[in-house]
Amino acid sequence: MALDETTRARIEDLLRSERVVLFMKGNRHFPQCGFSATVVNILNEFLPSYKTINVLADPALREGIKEYTQWPTIPQLYVGGEFVGGCDIVKELYASGELATMLGAPAAAAPAAAPAGGGKALSLRLSEAAAKAMREALGPGDDEFVRLEVSPRYAYDLSIGPRRPGDVEVEASGLTVLVDAASAARADGTAIDFVDGPQGGFKISNPGEPPQVRQLGVRELKAMLERKAPLELFDVRTEKERAVARIEGARLLDAAAEAHLRSLPKDATIVFHCHHGGRSQAAAERFLAEGYRNVYNLKGGIDAWSLEVDPSVPRY
Amino acid sequence: MGVHLTSFQGSVTEAIRTAIVGVIADATVHVEGGGGHFTIEVVSPVFAGKNRVESQRLVLGAIAHLMKGDAAPVHAVDSLRTRVP
Repeated sequence: MALDETTRARIEDLLRSERVVLFMKGNRHFPQCGFSATVVNILNEFLPSYKTINVLADPALREGIKEYTQWPTIPQLYVGGEFVGGCDIVKELYASGELATMLGAPAAAAPAAAPAGGGKALSLRLSEAAAKAMREALGPGDDEFVRLEVSPRYAYDLSIGPRRPGDVEVEASGLTVLVDAASAARADGTAIDFVDGPQGGFKISNPGEPPQVRQLGVRELKAMLERKAPLELFDVRTEKERAVARIEGARLLDAAAEAHLRSLPKDATIVFHCHHGGRSQAAAERFLAEGYRNVYNLKGGIDAWSLEVDPSVPRY
Repeated sequence: MGVHLTSFQGSVTEAIRTAIVGVIADATVHVEGGGGHFTIEVVSPVFAGKNRVESQRLVLGAIAHLMKGDAAPVHAVDSLRTRVP
């Protein structure tokens, strides 16, 4: 499909409108695809503002941007009108520290930017079982290493691979572990253990990990409501959806409810729900970022509630 | 594209590997995944002197026919890495 002139002109206008432009699915506050969410999380570390374009809302742009760049996937990041790459490339550039430079972020914003030259050493602990399992996975070669990645949301990934530019190298239990520069600050203090058996695998604990949004099952919520556990339940859907179906005791998160929420102590138990759990996860993360520590997302939303707890609540 | 893999008799991971090897000289291709999601690593001297966008574009171009349409065998490439041996 050739790119028509109108769409090309629109794309060029958009690329000129701001220095950093991200074509994505959803928007900055509510990404609707995991790859888009990954790029947003990375950009958020560096930039107070940037332009996002939701291709789901605009089929012409969705196809047009792929033609324009000759790049088949979304998200696509542009800086100064130049195509930078998709999710994988942004992750690589972030890990090596190149992205911070490209975005003109102050060095301090890049976590552990310069471990070389006397920066604070990164500490990792491997249990004997973990070190043994890693040695077995590594095999006899000497150009492959264990790599630990810690995403901005503290998701952990262990893999095996070669050295890459910008890596921090850590010695632990006689093994060299590679940590990319972006992960390094988050990885500090991490302990890795290994448990055998069907439920086993590597167990990672990290005292530096900030509090997370916790996932609450519908049956657990039902039990909590029945025993009148102290909790605040908020419905982040629209009034239109509430007219169709609602959970007894859930309060619409309107301006008045939000004011009430902000008057609650930071250790209050707060549960958010929506239709399937996506919007409420975003809301929960927003309040977690404001310092609330016991924030829950109702897993599966009101749909799971209808299916598993109360079939009299209509599904839609 | 001269190669037609729509009638490919075998796994999608094999189709991905075959498509990449057919386009990129001396490529060592590692593909993992299933259910439409794949992780791909390609090692080839062809990437020398190319930047990341150019390198990935080569690989994505080679498998474009597997990613087209709503019922495409490749729904998403979860991770793509290219490097020089």
